[in-house]
Order: sequence, then C-alpha cells, then structure tokens
Amino acid sequence: MQRESPLSGIRVVDLSRVFAMPYVGAYLADMGAEVIKIDTHHAAFIDTTRTLTGPYPDNDPGKEFWNRAGTYQTLNRGKRSLTLDLRSEPGMAILLDLISISDVVLENFTPRVTRRFGLDYPSLQTVRPDLVLVSNTGYGHSGPWSDFGAMASALEPTHGAGAFMGYLEPDAEGTLVPSETPNKIGNSYTDFLACWSAQMAIMAALYRRALTGQGTWIDLAMYQNGVSFLGEGLLDYAFNCRSTRRLGNRHESMSPQGCYPCQGQDRWVVLTVRHDQDWQAFCNALGQTDLAADSRFADPISRHRHQDQLDKIITAWTGSKTQEEVVAILQSYGIPAAPVLDGEQMLSDQQLRSRGLFETVEHPESSGIGRREYLGRGWKLSEADVSIRGPAPNLGEANDYVLEEVLGLSDSQVKPLKGDGVIGEELAGGSAPGVVPLQRQAELGWIADYRENFLP
Amino acid sequence: MAIPPPPFAPGCWPTTGPTSSRWNFQASETPPAPPVARRRRPPGGPAVKKGAPRGAGPPPRRKGPFAGDDPHPEKSLPFLYLNTNKRGITLDIESPTGRGILDRVLAETDVLVENFSPAERERLSLDIESLSTSNPGLVSVSITPFGLTGPRRDSPAEDIEVFAWSGHLYHSGDSDREPLHNALEQAWYVAGVNAATAATTAFFHRLFTGRGQQVEVSASECLASHMVQAIPYSNYMGAIKGRRPIRGSGFEELMPARDGYVVPSVQGSQPWSVVADLIGLEELKSDKFSSGSGRIEHGEELKELVTQGLARWERKPLFEASGQRRLVFGMAQDSGDLYACPHLHERDFFVEVDHPVAGRAEYAGMGPRLSSDEYEITQPAPVLGEHNREIYLGRLGFNDQDLVCLRAAGVI
Repeated sequence: MQRESPLSGIRVVDLSRVFAMPYVGAYLADMGAEVIKIDTHHAAFIDTTRTLTGPYPDNDPGKEFWNRAGTYQTLNRGKRSLTLDLRSEPGMAILLDLISISDVVLENFTPRVTRRFGLDYPSLQTVRPDLVLVSNTGYGHSGPWSDFGAMASALEPTHGAGAFMGYLEPDAEGTLVPSETPNKIGNSYTDFLACWSAQMAIMAALYRRALTGQGTWIDLAMYQNGVSFLGEGLLDYAFNCRSTRRLGNRHESMSPQGCYPCQGQDRWVVLTVRHDQDWQAFCNALGQTDLAADSRFADPISRHRHQDQLDKIITAWTGSKTQEEVVAILQSYGIPAAPVLDGEQMLSDQQLRSRGLFETVEHPESSGIGRREYLGRGWKLSEADVSIRGPAPNLGEANDYVLEEVLGLSDSQVKPLKGDGVIGEELAGGSAPGVVPLQRQAELGWIADYRENFLP
Repeated sequence: MAIPPPPFAPGCWPTTGPTSSRWNFQASETPPAPPVARRRRPPGGPAVKKGAPRGAGPPPRRKGPFAGDDPHPEKSLPFLYLNTNKRGITLDIESPTGRGILDRVLAETDVLVENFSPAERERLSLDIESLSTSNPGLVSVSITPFGLTGPRRDSPAEDIEVFAWSGHLYHSGDSDREPLHNALEQAWYVAGVNAATAATTAFFHRLFTGRGQQVEVSASECLASHMVQAIPYSNYMGAIKGRRPIRGSGFEELMPARDGYVVPSVQGSQPWSVVADLIGLEELKSDKFSSGSGRIEHGEELKELVTQGLARWERKPLFEASGQRRLVFGMAQDSGDLYACPHLHERDFFVEVDHPVAGRAEYAGMGPRLSSDEYEITQPAPVLGEHNREIYLGRLGFNDQDLVCLRAAGVI
C-alpha cells in the first residue's frame, strides 16, 4: 500500500528567519505540506542563514552564495521560495492573498514589527478565519519584556539552563565541588526547544481545526518555553529553596558517572555505573577486581563520596585506550558507555546510518553542491511518508509558480513586480561573505579541526 | 467523514470540545515516556498511567530531587512535574490476568505510550502488529534511547550516553576542557516533545486513513537533529565544529557582571555604537571595534574592556537596558530568579498545584501559549494506584470483590 503524507494538501507560509521556525517549516515540508518560504532579494533583510552562517561547499561561497550554505539547506529543504518586498504595498497585498489560501503561517518578527506589518492574529483572521499562526518571539506578545529581541545563545542562560550546568572546580582542599559559574548547552539549544514545541502546537492546532473548524494563534515565547523544560529544577526551588544544581558530568545518585579522555585529540567517553551489579561488572571490565573489594567504593553512597578518587582510576584506564576500545569493553559488560561523537563521527556511525537518519539530496548541477546528506528526524511513522522532499529553494525560484499558478496573476501583472523590485531572483546589495581559511578558523577556535584535501 | 475522537487533548483544547470515552494509555517505567502524555489533557478520555504493583514504585518515583528532600515515592519532583493531569492505576502486565486486562484496555485505546527496551517490548508482544488486530486505529508510541532497530538498539544508556551518541555533548562546554552535560535530563524532555508531535501527526493522519500506526522515537536521534551546523560543517567542507572557543571578545558568551553573569551580544540590527554606549566604557567606542573583523583582530583587548564595563552593571538592569535599545543581551538566571520574574508572572506562566502527599507548589506551565488555550493543570500527578477504583470499577466493570481478588493475586 502506498504511504500517504500526513500533511498532503496543507499549505504553509513561512515568513521566519534563521533557525527555530525555518526548521519547523522544513519538518512540515517533510510531512508533505507545501511550504512557501517568503524570501527577499534585498540583502539587508534576507534570511542570514543564506548569507552569513555557512558553511559552503569546500569553504567556497561561490557566485550564488545565497543558495549554497549547508545550514540554510538543512533548515529549508523541500520548500518553495517566493521573494517579496514586504515594505511595498504590492508585496504585502500578495502576501495577504497567499495567506488567505494557506493553512499555517510561521513568523518570528518581534511583536513591534508584527504590529507594524499588520501580521497580528486578529488582522490575519480577517484574511483567513481558520488560520493557524505561529508567532515565535524571544519573550512573547505580552509582559514587560515583550518587545525585546532575542537570540538563542543569550536566551539559554536567561531561561535558566545555566543554573543546571557547570563544571566542578577544586575547593581549598582540592575536592571537586559545584562551580558558581554557569555554562551553556550551546549549539543554539533554545532554538530547537522552540522548534519542537512549535511543531507539537501546530499539529494540535491542525487537529483541532479539523474537528472544530477553528484556527489557533500560537504565541511561542522562547524564554517561557525554555523554562518549561526545566520543570523539576524549578520545583527544587519551590519545595527545597535550591536554586541551582551544577554537577559537572556527574549524576546525583549514580556513581561513577563522568566524561573521560581517551587516546587521540579531543576524544572522550562517557559512562555510568547505575548500581552495585554494574559496579561489580565495571571492576571486571577494568581488570581491577581488587576495586570491587575496596571499601571506599563498596556501595552507591561510598562511590558518590569518593568519586574524585574513582575518576583518577578511570581516567588512567580510558586514557590508555581508544574510544572504540573503551566503549566495546564496557558495553560487553552491560555498562552504559558512549563515545562523545563529533560531526564527522556521526556521519559514519553505524546506528544512525542503519536507521537512515541521514537522507540524501541531489542538488541541481548548477548549484555545484552535488549530492549531500542531511539530518532527518528523530521519529518515524510506520504508515506515513515523511521524508526530505528535495533541496532548499534557490532565491525566488517559485516566484512564477506562486504568483501565476497559485495566485492566478497574469504575466502582465507579474512583470511590473520584477521591474519595481518587489520580487527578484538575484541578491540586491550586500557582498559575498569573506572566506576564512579552515586553518585560520582552527586557530581562532571556530572549528576544532579540519581535514586536508577533504572529499565529500 | 466521521471524525474520531482526539487521542488526548493538548492543553489548548477547549474543555467544551469533543470528548472521548476512549483511553490514552501510558505504560512506562523510566523517563522518557512521561513528557509526551503530560502535555495533553483529556477532555473525556483519561490519560492513564500504569504503575508497577510491587516495591516502592517505578523508577521515576524513586528519582530525585524530592519535595522536602524526603525520598518518599510520592515526592519525586520529576515525577510530580511530568505526570500532572493523569490518572494512575497499578497493573502487573506480566501476569496472565493483568495482561488480559491490559489487552481489554488497549482494544479501546487511542494512543499507547511506552518506553520499554526493544527486547522487553518484544517479550511483552507490544508490537503494533499484535496490538492492531484488536484495534486497527491504535497509535502506538515507542520511546527508546536509540530506536527499535539497529546495532545499538539494546544498548543501555542514561541521559549522558544519549547526549554523547547524539553528537550534542561534543559541542557543550568549553573547548579547553572536557565536554559538559546538563544536570537535568534534557534528552528525555526533547524526546518527549518530539513524541508528542509524532503522535499527534499520526492521529491527524488517522483522520483521513482511519488507520493507526507505530510511532517510533529515538531520543538520541531527536538530539542529533539539533546538529544543523555540525553535520554540514563536516560534509560540506571537512571541518569539525567543536565547543565554544575560550579565546574571543567575550560576546555571545557568559561574562561576569556585579551580581552574576550576563551574555553581551552584538547580534541583531543595531550598530556597534549602541553596544559600546550601553556597556558605557569610552574606550569601546574606538573605530577598531566597530566591525566584526576588527573585533576578531582585537579580541583579547576587547574582552578585557568588556569585562571592565560589565563589572559596573548588575544583571537585570543591563538586560532590560539592552532590550530597550533593541539589543539582545541575556543574563544567567537561576530558579529563584525565574520564580520572581515579573514577565513570567504577567504571562500567568506558573500554576499552583496541591498534591496530597508532596504539598502545594507553583509548577511551570505550558511553553507555547495558544489562543484557544484553556490549558490548566487541573489535578496533580497521581499517587500510586490512586485511580484504581475509578478505572477498574467505573470504566472496566469490575466490582469491589473483583478488586479484592486482583489485589490478593498481586495484579493491582
């Protein structure tokens, strides 16, 4: 039986920029929705993942760099691109016409800009009464901080994640204790929390619409959303007046747990001894059966109290082996253990490959990108077609399709739009991003390492 | 087309909306299953959480921290947070009688959420092929560390191992130290929300096909999906994206202020002069810092100046001043700060919950706010077996004597 796409027949207008909401749009496209990305060819207002974030094939932006960035491709796969200058009356009129025949709108303007453009929910409901609108902001559409802009790397500690993340540091006696210094999960973590929550809310809203005929406005404040992922941490304050919990890589009840160095540059493993049975097996795995009889480590409480000493023993053992050796040995004894994979290792990881996490996209020859693999999703549906539909769109590649086929404009109506700069397929203004050689990027710490003579 | 009832209504669903007499059943022993069910409140059909009948309860009830630091099985804070609005019954599904009851329930269930290991799941015959014979419309959600297939599917893993295998851990922490894990078990939160999306998608799909299906969620792959930069860095140009550099100008990083840490930022639409003016050190207004390349070239000098400037500020005044200037600074907040946050209070984020054993507290509410939002936590997490009588007598047709027999047999 042919597997159907869950969102076949759903049209999405994606006004969003950068990471969180564009990735939502990409997933909706994977699920079969027609997702139209509202681009602009004016450099000052373009989605910066087209122009600033990179990376580019072989670190070469190329002539049409705005279509070639790998992160842009990941976040916008399977979409169509319509360029519109929303500062112009015709541009805004076209947008509203498109929204009137669409099901979902994604936007991440600040509330101030949303109001200025008339893209608030009450206004859009007059255009499409049963619309599902996601308004993704730093702080939401109400409250004293509502007009503040935001970005994920600054939001992460603001929504409290740093209260639960920090290295251990030696005290006056040399014992490792929780640091007062917060740290960050990093990698734009807060963006992805917003992305996942938005997807959940959209699907709930579409389901509700199917039942009731009513639309929904989703006011997604990344700050508030981030706090909701720290639930028991907050309750620890409510019940116990404990406002932070920084454990390094340790666990509050399972010892030892940690991140230990292996042979090679920046190679690490993590492991967790969950209980006494694991501890016995762990001592055997290390070939140090005398440890099992050591009273300092006899039970969970003792191991927790003496983990500084245990860490030294474990570090000496892991440091003499490769990641693969450590993990293979520990897993053969049933101990939870893992190598800390970098991006290159992920791409060759047998588990991820066997499950098809990476999906191959064939890019048009003119792009010079060739065949590349992109991240799929963390979930699978047994009876539905959910997959990457194609590459991210070139700038304005669907202008004619949307304007003429979807909206029914005539050729004579479309031509003036090009002449007036309302639409366009070539970047207007701006300049190509500077190329920083990989060796220099490594010196600056922007990358950890690179492969000479890389071949994709 | 007849529209079936919803699986378990999310918080946004009106209490006056479509109701269901069917079930949403969660069989779980360890996180990550709870988050997916917590985020939805049934208007009619109960979300039922199965608990184990023996011992101190399933591991989530033994997981700290605890209310009042009392390791009581009804005071586990992760359990209390992740299981609000559910009904809870006990059922030994390993016993023939218990399994018979489970099969009766599953025949009338819309969504099953479970997080057994793949091997355990097979042993219990909880595969969709077996379950769908009596209920073709069932949406069955499996949440595991690595998925139901592949060479690693049966490997044991805690949160930190999931983070490591996902590629995320490599990018967390400082580049001159070991990778660093978050103390809260974020892998299961992320998997839970992804599971909620996937389950609702499957249910939406059922509207048009009439068929249920298997939803399979891999926690490590959910986290791996965050690597939208690291993967193209590798397969576009052979570069390894790593942890944050310890060198640099101090922007976009946690930097000390008078009463804690802030994150100064040059992102956004404002020119450097606005940033320099806010931090308030005259030397920062030098032209050599006004461009991105200049800030890279003079990074160490800039960091020293920024450190001096920020030392004059307390976190919150700086954060609010930056927002008013359309800059995007952040500040490190802890739980106490969040509970006192006027912004969250004005948005009615916190919800007071009174638990019969743990007591009263304000819980974090829903992340997204929906215009149809009637989301509220109407009941605390269930105590072990709290709804046995309601469910077994009221929904399954047993009588008091039956319950005595089931209890004597250790089934409930």
